[in-house]
Amino acid sequence: MNLSRRRVLLGSAVGLLGAGALAACSDAPPTAAPAPSSGAPAPTTTSAGRVPYVGDQRAVALCAATSALAASLYSGAVLAAGDGRLGQVPGVVTAFLAGAGAQHTEHAAAWNALLTAAGRPAVTGTPLTVESERRAALGRAAAPTDLLALAVDVEAMTGGTVSARAAEFTDPGAAALAATLAPVTAMHGATAAFLLGRPTGATPSAAGAPLGLDALTV
Amino acid sequence: MIPGIAGAAGVAAQTTSGDVPALRTATGLVVLAQSTYRTLQATPAGGGATAVPLVRDLLTAAVVELGDARAALTAATTGVGGRAQTAPDPTYGPVVDAALPTVRTPADVVGLVLTLEDVLAQTLVADAAALSTPALRALALRFGSAAASRKATLLIVNSLLSAGRADLVAAPPDLASLPGGIGTVGFPDTRFPTAKAAPAEEGDG
Repeated sequence: MNLSRRRVLLGSAVGLLGAGALAACSDAPPTAAPAPSSGAPAPTTTSAGRVPYVGDQRAVALCAATSALAASLYSGAVLAAGDGRLGQVPGVVTAFLAGAGAQHTEHAAAWNALLTAAGRPAVTGTPLTVESERRAALGRAAAPTDLLALAVDVEAMTGGTVSARAAEFTDPGAAALAATLAPVTAMHGATAAFLLGRPTGATPSAAGAPLGLDALTV
Repeated sequence: MIPGIAGAAGVAAQTTSGDVPALRTATGLVVLAQSTYRTLQATPAGGGATAVPLVRDLLTAAVVELGDARAALTAATTGVGGRAQTAPDPTYGPVVDAALPTVRTPADVVGLVLTLEDVLAQTLVADAAALSTPALRALALRFGSAAASRKATLLIVNSLLSAGRADLVAAPPDLASLPGGIGTVGFPDTRFPTAKAAPAEEGDG
């Protein structure tokens, strides 16, 4: 079993290495801020037309889009934290948002690497049915703790989506990737909960529900 | 399979033969962690006069969560024809036995359980990729993510206690006083590591 376990994880690494994703998804601590984005609702950038993702590919695409939405929301939250409308946002909150967002960016890249290695297009933008509502929620934030509450929902949504798909993947590489990314989102969520004053766990709102395959709009 | 990926990966097919040892090993780690938490609750630094209230709350919550994990993993083990594992992990049990008498401070408490949670989480994450059925993989990932969550919180608390800032280990925290690094210390890895995962046969005795 241990040999099998090691081969599964090695197989994942080999597959990702072939796609050039390992360099974009290291074990290094997060240092870079996510790509710039606006705290205000942003236009959806979707692939033109319907992309023929089939089987596991569709679930991988959903995970890519969900990770990208998380990264984009955090990027917007960092900008919101800096524009003064939320008052003085503590540095620890901004650091959390930037660090977690950077990891979600890398997660999205890792998911997309699986797609491109399979000859399918990477998911661009955040083509999800919930995108507008989630961006609106960010726009309604009025205090630093609102950003943290949003983060609790974002992490529950992302982690729940990946976890729900993880068990269903027939591709070992996708299953292994899901297994190593879902716990990281859980760690983001635990950090947000700690900062919110709920160190044993914060309960997400309805916006933290996992996304189904029907949430993907490409 | 994802066309173009699975073949290149050269991954062995998952089989059912390793499920029971893996589940029993994970259960042994859970048994050990829960027992350790309980023991620490009875120490001055974990649950007594010198305990940090927030750490005391973490211990209480972890005992409950690990109880749930133990019950679920045991049910899964017997469900696939295995014997329930009730003994603590044989590798880390002696490590804990040696460490417990040296626990003096809340930082010692956090450091000890942090080690156990890390091994448990890494083991379950490895299982989540290797077990043979969707239900078992989902189970492993659920409890692996829970252990990872506890690890994140313990990393934060450990960082503050190591810096001599027990005053900041509070709920709610004083956000304005927390160092910026606390915002990311709880998630040091972009992908959750598995190098410390216990070998599946380790706790199958």
